[in-house]
Amino acid sequence: MKARLFASAILCAIALALMTTVGAVESVPLSAPKPLNQKGFPAELYSWVIPADNPQTPAKVELGRKLFFDDRLAADGTVSCDQCHAPAKGFTDQLPASMGIHHAFGQRNAPTILNALFNTLQFWDGRAPTLEKQIEGPILNPVEMGNKNFDDVVAKVKGIPEYQQSFQTVFNGAITMDNIERAIAAYERTQIAFDTPFDRFMAGDQNAISASAKRGWSLFNGKGRCMTCHGWNPTQPLFTDNRFHNIGVSAHKSDFVPLARKALVLIAQGGGGLQQLDQLAIQTDMSGLGRFLVTKQAHDIGGFRTMGLRNLLVTQPYFHDGSQQTLWDVLDHYNKGGVPNPYLDGGLLPLGLSESEEDDLVAFLVTLTSPEYASASNEELEKQRARAKTDRPQRDEAAATGKSGLGPGFKGPFGDMTPAQNEENPALLGGD
Amino acid sequence: MISKYSVIRAIAVGAAVTAFSSRALAQQNPTHEVPAPAHGGTVVMLCDGKTSIEVKDLKPGQAMTHDEAVKVSRDLMAKWTREHPGEHWEMAQEAPPESAPSAEASPMGAAVPGNPAAPAPAPSMSVQQGDTYASFQPRDYKVWKAETDTFVADGKRIFHDAKALGSTIGVSCDMCHPDASNTHPETYPKYQVQLQKVALLRDMIDWCIENPIKGKALEPNDPKLRALEAYIYAQRKGVPLDYGKH
Amino acid sequence: MAARHKSVETRYMEDRDKVLRGMRRLDRRTFMKVLAASAGAVMAKGLMPPHTFQLVNVAEAALDKSASATGAPGTPPFTFAYISDTHMYVRTLNQRFVKGAVKAVEDVNALDPQPDFVLFGGDLAQLGRPEELEQGKQVLSELKAPVKMMVGEHDWFYDMGDKWQELFGPPNYSFDWKGVHVVVLMSVHEKDFWTARGLSPADRMQIVAGLDNSIQSRFEVGDEEREWLKNDLAKVPTTTPLLVFSHSPLYKYYRNWNFWTEDAEQVQELLKPYPNVTVVHGHTHQMLFNQIGNISFYGMLSTAWPWPYAPQGLPALTVQMNRPDPYDQLDGLGDGQVNVSKEGLADMMYNLWDRNPVTVRADYLRSNGKTYVPPAPQFASY
Repeated sequence: MKARLFASAILCAIALALMTTVGAVESVPLSAPKPLNQKGFPAELYSWVIPADNPQTPAKVELGRKLFFDDRLAADGTVSCDQCHAPAKGFTDQLPASMGIHHAFGQRNAPTILNALFNTLQFWDGRAPTLEKQIEGPILNPVEMGNKNFDDVVAKVKGIPEYQQSFQTVFNGAITMDNIERAIAAYERTQIAFDTPFDRFMAGDQNAISASAKRGWSLFNGKGRCMTCHGWNPTQPLFTDNRFHNIGVSAHKSDFVPLARKALVLIAQGGGGLQQLDQLAIQTDMSGLGRFLVTKQAHDIGGFRTMGLRNLLVTQPYFHDGSQQTLWDVLDHYNKGGVPNPYLDGGLLPLGLSESEEDDLVAFLVTLTSPEYASASNEELEKQRARAKTDRPQRDEAAATGKSGLGPGFKGPFGDMTPAQNEENPALLGGD
Repeated sequence: MISKYSVIRAIAVGAAVTAFSSRALAQQNPTHEVPAPAHGGTVVMLCDGKTSIEVKDLKPGQAMTHDEAVKVSRDLMAKWTREHPGEHWEMAQEAPPESAPSAEASPMGAAVPGNPAAPAPAPSMSVQQGDTYASFQPRDYKVWKAETDTFVADGKRIFHDAKALGSTIGVSCDMCHPDASNTHPETYPKYQVQLQKVALLRDMIDWCIENPIKGKALEPNDPKLRALEAYIYAQRKGVPLDYGKH
Repeated sequence: MAARHKSVETRYMEDRDKVLRGMRRLDRRTFMKVLAASAGAVMAKGLMPPHTFQLVNVAEAALDKSASATGAPGTPPFTFAYISDTHMYVRTLNQRFVKGAVKAVEDVNALDPQPDFVLFGGDLAQLGRPEELEQGKQVLSELKAPVKMMVGEHDWFYDMGDKWQELFGPPNYSFDWKGVHVVVLMSVHEKDFWTARGLSPADRMQIVAGLDNSIQSRFEVGDEEREWLKNDLAKVPTTTPLLVFSHSPLYKYYRNWNFWTEDAEQVQELLKPYPNVTVVHGHTHQMLFNQIGNISFYGMLSTAWPWPYAPQGLPALTVQMNRPDPYDQLDGLGDGQVNVSKEGLADMMYNLWDRNPVTVRADYLRSNGKTYVPPAPQFASY
């Protein structure tokens, strides 16, 4: 009797702890591994991205989860992965740039872990080829987790009995940096996010999204020119082409040419390994060079990864520097054709979208929200909508309609660009 | 006197009458060796001289009812069909039996007259007559070619005309695709990277009209779109199809 | 616009000095490592790193005075940039082509050091209208370096060159530059195809503007101008390197698209006595190069739109550029520069937009493709 009371008290305590940690009344904590039977889940793609040398097992995933939430992995024991990748915040921190040990700030916005397993490369500039390798960046970065070397981290983990047991089960006792990475990556691979209203619409439910969102989907495929880079298809329903594009975000702040010359010298001297690139990207004014730091090719200057578009309303603010607060700001940026700079991607053009077309696009983007983030997203949407009514720093109607840019006195050259898709059911064009 | 053999043979012939060549009927009826019954019934042989079945309940001298006779002839034909897969009765009967060595038998199994010594059939006798496709006249072909050429020429005109395409910036297709070069219509359907989905040629034409040409995309059955498609295909006559190629 | 350039330049100069000062502190070994690493993959392929469009070579040029673009007067080496085939409509109709031309101007203005001059390769206007030519002159006037103009068929056949000559002077001329004799030809003359058909100037221009209609005549330099060329060259010793600028290719590539000069052989004959001749031509809107006898031929890129490679007649030495992506309105386009060596041989540097630049060396052409082979395409046009 006493034992039963005790046990249920423990369970209550755990539940309470989980609820307060997560901050929402969910039946399953947001940190838990996600089920694979979600609408729109790409099973074939999933089978391609699980690496042969790191298969998923429940024990490994649980070990990885423990490590993910363990702030002892930082040099001073104060920063865990979830500080910048918090489940309740869409596995981001909802800050423009992330904060690490000693309250030091970096230069890049924390990307979400949700669906990160499907990325062909990790980080905004693709400097890590796998989820496993990605971990090495923050672990050693002086303004993130600040460890001097991997040995320190391994030694720490080795000294924790709980981990000794888990590593024994999962890895036959081999506590190495590689295995720590494998475990964390295995946990990360359980964070998938589908089952959105859009996924259900594409599966045939005509009522899953609003008419405005359907118009938005039509614009996404047509006049908005979004689909080419933020590509979606049933096999790869991720809204990214996994390529790198300069859309002019860095050009707000960076004078590319002298920075690029400086970076080349530094990389040549320093060898260009992951740690050096990580520091250049996170801590220096060369952060805006983006993909160039990795490839050193001029056409990659200022280029950043096309990010996926799911769950945008819990992963704000937007772009690699977190410089844009609302989805309307993002659309305004694209609508005027990005920010001119010598390396601007040639696919960026003024779009001539009207206010109501932007609203339709936002409505469409909102339908890419997974159910577990629905209420948080609605809250954020209302905040953004209110802000967008009064504060639109990126908006430039003259540029968007082609009236400015090449001198005064000419009419916009774009004509009527209404897409030809069937607006009643544009899903017919995209779905099976 | 009509023996029961000839009755049955006649019925067998009748059952196979679907498109029986008059020429075969005109041939002399061969005489056949009918095998002896093994179960005390009556052996009925098809007029190919080979296929036979034994009607077990039919005692020698007994007569069959009409229905029974029809069933027997059907069974005979079914057996023949089973033993000659892929062949057609009528065509098989064209060949003189026994005198056609199978050295030149066509792979499809139809018994084409293979005897080198047999004279070639007169052309008029071997061209099928009467159906729709057999009754086209030279004049029809001329008319249809003129129609097709006009359709393609219309596509060519629109292809070269920024205004007809609805371009708002004075750009026409031929500026990037002289003679419709680099359009590769033979590769459709394929995953079109610009559209991020599997596209047909007309989907890409519409994409180009919207994007580099900055006009309004045409409806799928707009005559202009169909004509453009026709012109582009016409420029690639003879190039092998290779769908999915990038 | 001028003020903005100044401040960028000032800031850039300050930064550059800082980098150079930093680099001077490096010992020679580390310095070479820096150069080598940054030129990286380009060097590994045996290609000469393109000058000044490539970022690091500023340092190289500044520190190594003997190879600088400002060599002793009267001798090569030198560099000139090119902008070609802008095909501009008036900006009220079409911004895209104007933007391309402006981007090229900005590219060339950002070069450090500045080239000796900028060759404009022809087809400034799209339909030869006076407003288009005026607009083109306005865009090119932003160039800091001196401009040498060359005429294309799109500039000529509306009014048979009246406006062009008013704005830019004679369509063919020659000059000497640092020991090289430079000839600028008008190589897009056509035999009269319009009078018999009763065509208006606008109709005539429309037909010339179309590549594949085969109604217009094939381009030619023509008897008169070949005579002029002969006389011009009479005064030039055969030891002098020649640069010949021409809009049409001065060889026969593809007749149907007028990638063609009808009297090419006769022109080549006039150039035969000179061991070092380089023809730089426009019109073809693609990476294109050839060697015929003593003459190297380089086609310039366009800033307006790229062309597919012709179904036949492509020179064996040409390595195609990758098929352009129509979503990217800069792809397959660009500008570039030509580096003329001490011997008067010319290497062509294609500054392809949104792609890695490609350098084609005279050595590649003159060795018949054995050395310094340019990188191969992954997707040729077909």
